[in-house]
Formats: sequence, C-alpha cells, structure tokens
Amino acid sequence: MTIENKKGWISWFNPFKYGTDRWMYALHRLTGIALGLYLIAHVWETSNILNGPVTWNKIMVDLDYPFGAHYGPYILSLILLVAVYHAMNGIRLTIVENGLMLPKPYRPEFPYKAKSLRGLNNLLKIVLGIFMIVISIVGVYYIFTGAVL
Amino acid sequence: MQEIALKGFGETVKTVTFRIRRYDPEKQELPKYMEYKIPVQMGMTVLDGILYIKEHLDHSLSTRYSCRMGICGSCGMIINGKEKLACQTQILELGKDLIKVDPMGNYGIVKDLVPDLSNLFRNHEKVKPYIIREEEEPKSEYLQTPAQREEYAMFTDCILCGMCLSACPTSATDELYLGPQALAQGFRYISDNRDLGFNERLNVLDSKQGVWRCHFSGACSEVCPKGVDPALAIQLLRQVMTTNVFVKFKQKGTANAPERKSVSGVS
Ligand code: SF4
Ligand code: FES
Repeated sequence: MTIENKKGWISWFNPFKYGTDRWMYALHRLTGIALGLYLIAHVWETSNILNGPVTWNKIMVDLDYPFGAHYGPYILSLILLVAVYHAMNGIRLTIVENGLMLPKPYRPEFPYKAKSLRGLNNLLKIVLGIFMIVISIVGVYYIFTGAVL
Repeated sequence: MQEIALKGFGETVKTVTFRIRRYDPEKQELPKYMEYKIPVQMGMTVLDGILYIKEHLDHSLSTRYSCRMGICGSCGMIINGKEKLACQTQILELGKDLIKVDPMGNYGIVKDLVPDLSNLFRNHEKVKPYIIREEEEPKSEYLQTPAQREEYAMFTDCILCGMCLSACPTSATDELYLGPQALAQGFRYISDNRDLGFNERLNVLDSKQGVWRCHFSGACSEVCPKGVDPALAIQLLRQVMTTNVFVKFKQKGTANAPERKSVSGVS
C-alpha cells in the first residue's frame, strides 16, 4: 500500500540547500506570523486606554520594563526589524511576482543556475537590503534616544 | 595526460555509508533507515551505489531508474537533504562519508525510493499539454519562426522528474496545488504561437490552486536538473494573467488577432 510522504508545514522553515530566495521565503513567513501576533497584542494593549489613565500608564511602564529590566527598547527594535524586513521583501515580491525585473525565457546552460533567482532579482535584494539597513539604523536610533538621526 | 586522468580509475578510493529510507508496503511498518557500507570508485554515482547495494548487499531495495544519464527523469530522490537525480550525482563530489537518501517528498511512497507520481501526471494533464487548434485535422503545417520558438523553448526541456514538486513548500501543504511543473507547461503552451487554447486553459491556470498559489520561494528552479526554471514560467504566466484583465489577451495566429506584444519578461 502506498503511504503519504507530505513534507508538511515544517518544510516552510527548511530553507537549507535551496538558495537565497527560499531563505527569504522562510523569513517572510516567520516575520509575517510574528507581525500578526504583534498586531493582536498591539490592539489589546492600546484598547486598555478605555480603562482610564491609571491602567494605561501602568501598562506602558510594564511593557517598558518586562521581566524586571528596561528591555522595552530592545523588543521594540526587534519588532521594527521584523516589520522592515517584511515590508522590503514584500516590495520585492510584488515586483517579481508580476514578472517584472525577471529575464526573458533563455537557453539554459550547464550547470543550470536559474536566472530568475539571480540577475535583476539579486540587484533588487541588495538595493532593498540597503534600504532595510538604513531604515533600521534610523529607527533603532530613534527608539533608544528619541532623536531623529 | 590521459594516464594521469585515468590514475586510480577502477580502484576503491574510499568507503562511504549510505543511509537509505526503506519502506516495505507488505509489512505494517513505518519507513525506517537502514545503513549500507559501499566501496566507492572514481566516477561512481549515487545510483551506482544503490545498484551496488542491490547486487551485493540487499536485493530487496527498490528504486526507479532507466537511462542513467539524466534524460529519463526517473531517479529523482532526496540526497543529503536536496532533491537530485541519483544518476547525475557523483559520490566523491558530495565529499561526505555518510550519504542520506530519501524518497522524494510530497508524493506517496510505493516502496523504498519509489514515489507515486500519479499526482504529477494528473496535474500535467490538467493544463492540456498539447497544441489546441480550432480545426480537427491540420490542413497544412503551422509555421513558426526561430524567434517565436525561443519564447518557450527552455520549458520544453522538462523531463517530468517531479523534483520541483518535492522541493516546493506550497506543494508540501496543499495537495490540490498544480505545482511548478504543470504551471511551467501551461505557460509553455500558451506562449506557443501555434496554439489557440488560452481560454480553454484559463479556468485551470487562473485559479486558487493554480498560478496564484505560488509564493516564489524559487526552490523548484533551484533543484531542476534541466534548468527549466519553472519559477520564471509561473511569474511570467502571472504577468499574462494580470495583463489579460486590462487588455483582453488575443493569441497570435487567431483570425484577425492583432500582433500582440511578447508575453515574455519586460526587463
Ligand atoms: S520542471 Fe524541472 S524539476 Fe520540474 S519536473 Fe520538469 S525537469 Fe523536473
Ligand atoms: S536514470 Fe534517467 S535520469 Fe537518472
């Protein structure tokens, strides 16, 4: 009897050996899930304003000092990184998934490196990667000092 | 020169261990790994190793193969975590002493390394992989220039090995997804100037389980042994679908069809 051999959702997070695009795919999924969870928590947190200023202020302090230390800015920075990655990769996907910045059909040549995963697609990754770094630096600087770079 | 190249040929270079996932449909058991030690000579492929096991160590091991030269697409399997054609993978080039061989994922297992590819063929059939014309019998040859052929030529290289579906993370969870192979073939036929079947294929390709299910993780193009680049075909197919919304897509060769711009990439 034939048996099932589905790789299942766990293989979304197995980018090893499948190249850069697969890594970015796995990260995109991870950051997407993280952002979804963050959004729920965020709505819960801001809805506490309904309970009056005292509760609100207490929660703001609690969130800034989780686990008894001033970890708030670090957590915020992490959320920022996650969001910036998801946004930048989303821009890249919107472009390439519409067939833009991809090569025309070509003649494959040994060793058959796929051109759709390289070339202009790679250029996009680099340019958006630089954007991501710049935005993150400005954002993290703002989170920690309150000043715009 | 030739003597140097042939030095050591036919001698055992080293011994490697093959760890193969075995499944016997006649026993009520889950698949399990078994290990075999194999003397490796220069030029030996993973398929040669498996055949060595079959000849000398365990006759019950099953695998699919035919051409032993990367043409028939029978011997796709997961070698050390990545889909590869066993006959095109040199053991010494892998550079490992332990080689883990699994049957392809996302298909059923018939026995040992033999996957059940019926899903692949069913999906391939769904996109109508043949030239569709209005007339039943051709009255003359359908003409095509070399440049028109270049627009789809690369996608004709597919050998139906099925490794792209095994690598695809969407196929891993969605059974109904057409898969990179079928979508690439769909694109191959609608971008053929002799074909008039665009609208007939539309409901299969332009659907939830069709071209829009792809997330462009590029794994299919990464593992394809023929450089077919199915991921490229899928994105270009999407471009055709989106343009079709704005500019009604008329196929070349239809009566009174305006000369449409190439459906291939814009870059
Ligand atoms: S597209 Fe490539 S990987 Fe997929 S079945 Fe065809 S030859 Fe194999
Ligand atoms: S045996 Fe034909 S492709 Fe490997």
